[in-house]
Amino acid sequence: MEIKILLKSNLKSHRGTVLGVFALILLVFLSLGAVLTVWNNSSRYVDSEMNRLGYGDITAWVSGLQDTTPLAEEVSALDEVESVGVQSLIFSEYEIGDQESDSEGQLITYDPGHYPYKFFTEDLSGYQAAPAEIAPGEVYVSASMVSMFGIQIGDTITFPIARSGGDVIFTVAGFYEDPFMGSSMIGMKGFLICEQDHEEIAGVIEESGVDNLAREGFMLHISKVSGSTLTAAQFNAFLNENTSLTSYVEFTHSKDAIAGFMLTLQNVFTSLLLAFVVILLLASMAVLSHSIGSTIEQDYTNMGILKTMGFTSGKLRVIQLLQYLIITLCGMGLGLLLSILAAGFICRMTVTTTGLLIPSALPIGICLLALAVILLLLMGFVWLRTGKIHRISPVSAIRGTWKKSQESKKAAFPIQKKCLSFWLAMRQLLSGKRRYIGACLVAVLLVFFASLIGRVNAWLGPNGEGLMDAFNPADLHIAAQPMGETTIEQVEQTIESYTSITDSYDLAMPSVSVNGVDMTANVITEPERFHLLSEQTCRNSNEVVLTEFVAADLGVSVGDTVTVVGALGSGEYVVSGIYQCANDMGMNIGMNREGYDLIGEESPTMWCTHYFLADPSLQPEIMQALQNTYGGDVYLHENSWPGLAGILSAMQLLMIFLYAMVILFVLVVTLLTAGKLLRAEQKDLSIYRTLGFSAGRLRRSFALRFGVIALLGSILGTILSAFLTDPLVAVLMRIEGISNFSSQPGIFIVVLPGIVVIVLFFLFAYLAAGRIGKASPALLAEE
Amino acid sequence: MRKALLTAKEIVKTYPGAQEPVLNRINVEIHDGDFTVIMGPSGAGKSTLLYALSGMDTISSGQVLYKGKELGTLSEKKMAKLRASEFGFVFQQTHLVSNLTLFENVAVAGFLEKGKSEQDVRNRAEELLKRMNVEKAKNRLPAEASGGEAQRAAIARAMINRPGLLFADEPTGALNRKNSEEVLELLTALNRDGQSILMVTHDVKAAIRGTRILYLEDGKILDEMPLPPFDVKTAKEREEKVNAWLTALSW
Repeated sequence: MEIKILLKSNLKSHRGTVLGVFALILLVFLSLGAVLTVWNNSSRYVDSEMNRLGYGDITAWVSGLQDTTPLAEEVSALDEVESVGVQSLIFSEYEIGDQESDSEGQLITYDPGHYPYKFFTEDLSGYQAAPAEIAPGEVYVSASMVSMFGIQIGDTITFPIARSGGDVIFTVAGFYEDPFMGSSMIGMKGFLICEQDHEEIAGVIEESGVDNLAREGFMLHISKVSGSTLTAAQFNAFLNENTSLTSYVEFTHSKDAIAGFMLTLQNVFTSLLLAFVVILLLASMAVLSHSIGSTIEQDYTNMGILKTMGFTSGKLRVIQLLQYLIITLCGMGLGLLLSILAAGFICRMTVTTTGLLIPSALPIGICLLALAVILLLLMGFVWLRTGKIHRISPVSAIRGTWKKSQESKKAAFPIQKKCLSFWLAMRQLLSGKRRYIGACLVAVLLVFFASLIGRVNAWLGPNGEGLMDAFNPADLHIAAQPMGETTIEQVEQTIESYTSITDSYDLAMPSVSVNGVDMTANVITEPERFHLLSEQTCRNSNEVVLTEFVAADLGVSVGDTVTVVGALGSGEYVVSGIYQCANDMGMNIGMNREGYDLIGEESPTMWCTHYFLADPSLQPEIMQALQNTYGGDVYLHENSWPGLAGILSAMQLLMIFLYAMVILFVLVVTLLTAGKLLRAEQKDLSIYRTLGFSAGRLRRSFALRFGVIALLGSILGTILSAFLTDPLVAVLMRIEGISNFSSQPGIFIVVLPGIVVIVLFFLFAYLAAGRIGKASPALLAEE
Repeated sequence: MRKALLTAKEIVKTYPGAQEPVLNRINVEIHDGDFTVIMGPSGAGKSTLLYALSGMDTISSGQVLYKGKELGTLSEKKMAKLRASEFGFVFQQTHLVSNLTLFENVAVAGFLEKGKSEQDVRNRAEELLKRMNVEKAKNRLPAEASGGEAQRAAIARAMINRPGLLFADEPTGALNRKNSEEVLELLTALNRDGQSILMVTHDVKAAIRGTRILYLEDGKILDEMPLPPFDVKTAKEREEKVNAWLTALSW
């Protein structure tokens, strides 16, 4: 009973602390719940949808065969293979308005019996019944094409099936959910069409002969037998060794790789957000620590009196523990409840980038586990911090000598007339350092994380250049690949009518298998141009460079030998170095032209010439001119891809969210700390007022303390981020195939988070100190 | 006619929720160079009157004028400026800023005064602390100083800007006899040098230091007693005279 009474009284008398801690925990759990929901549900959903649709452990895109039955039977006959599913498709480039596709599209024949895709409602907020069939001339596209191309229902998409009028135009009838290649992170896109349209296009391809631009193909979804111990790479190698798959395959991707592509955006951003939640949790603990310390200080006399009445230190600690337990549980509960709304909002907002409507149901098990772990952590922390209750002496509390012993701590810092407010602020700070440690730690953590995100954003660049550089094996301004009668000389003439070409090189991307695993080879005429990370580039014909992921996957390192198999044969190549190319999540190799010629066959259309322009700012105009002049005859590439828009907008959202959280956190922390300080310093502030200090001057001086503390925290946070950003983000980027992350932000990016945090602390402290003006100095008379 | 430094006209102060006013239509003038003492029984409104006259507390009605300026019309900034340059305060509890040394407590108040160099302020602070006999303790924090040292430093602080009027609220209330005597001696000496003082006390030994005693009861000034400047030789007779006057007022 006595515990209940004291608990109630504590909660009432420390309303500010209660509300502050509650708000912080609420913010932490609101963020955590939302992040866990998106992270858990998106990966589970992609997995369950791929299983529901019957995609295999490996999918091989094949072409050059009329009927897949013999190949499917050959593959099915293997002991390690459980089943083979087939989807027929047509590979084709496509144009939407004046935008040309960067990667090939795949016109997939709609077969609801075997592949029951889900279809979105018009506003993408939910699902509608799947159409029994798709009308001729109509196409269903992935929802991510909204962010990639700004496409809407009723828009048209042109597929250049053959030269000289062989275009096929489809009208967008709606959006479907494609868990396989629906994300804006994936260049290749699936378009659902009806069988009749498929047949007609196949007819056009056949009739057009050498003039065809599209080709027929199939997706073979190959599943392993349950219990198979083969990894995806081993399974791929096994299939290549034991079937004729390599004769037809254009490329293969494992289920995990596809899921990785699909979840790129979610994984990167949820990882960043999860890290932010950890930062918020640490910041909350810093505030909690300060709050406990100052509450005990505030209640020292009361606790001393309670001890004289027979309360043990243990009992007083239990009361404190219960007090924070109640606050924390309330914050956690409400935070998690609100996170359902937040997660729902995020899931709806990201449909046009992920291509998926991720379920927003709270993953109860994970959330409860997180809640239990964090609750234990926080309560353990509270228990430790309340240990000082043991040191409360009833006599010292009643006589007030404990206060004297605290006040008599020297603070050597001269007070000067010039900038008096500043020197007084410094004195207050130094004589009560402990009171500001919480605010300082919060500033360090927030600035550190805001700097980290700022550096990632700077690396990304306003147009995603950083990411593109990570994905491209070498630099470029414009790349052109003539496919028909147009010659590269004509292309160059067009370019040079705008600006001169300063340099160029050729790059081809044929499929090869390396130690039995299918992957893309970046074949280059100037191997010096590869984005090399370590050792030597592949200057000799018997050398290759690998990405860190391929090296790790194959278990090889520089100096080792790998077997590369091409269309004409195989060869042993020495790994001369490690290079950077995040294409296919890093599953690619680099080799020079001479090296490739030993195992592969060159074709005139395989080479894509990459140009460097004297005036790169003319790139958009040149791209437009090339497109207008040569149309589908020339594939054009630039240092961008439509999926970048999704990443950039997600990054912007993350920055907005982050700064909103920073504002809220600084507000709560400042109000909490300032409230306690103002109460503790009420007497001193009144004395200053009787001396002739105006309330405004005292407010400025008070706010200045927080400004100074935030400055200190900001400097530490900025230094920390300078040292830790690159290694920490590099770990995160490795998930997506980017093995090398190096941020080189400008000075503005470096100092901005610190400035924001300093201004926020100063501003909120100034607002909180408004009560100085309301307090009458006459209260000194009441003492 | 003597110059009125501070004038109270019909001032009334009623605390929120209270039926009766604590100050009831008080009219009083505090003269330049006087050592005015306000006496009265507990709850008479002595401190309330002091804080009302100093502008530290608001009044419900009436006017308080300092050198002809009505305090109620001054902005918060102007009032702060007035406190810094014209008023000095000494409280019963010393009310020194806890994390400033005694010297700094004095100097900080001086730094507020514009037109004086930092060195001038420091010199004056040193001089005052010497005069108040706290030179040795000047680098101590208030918590490390004795009650007497702290109170003498508080007086030095109040005097740093040569105030027009020094307000003292029971300045000896928390001190032992020896320290009380020292503080009263300092105040008397300051008054002798021309410093105007307005002091609240319930201690007759302190009151006899004044040159004028106002007797306050139930929020009204019932009577006043003029006295010649204090002389230690006549202190006993002076005390008896004041006691007799107070007895007549049912003290």
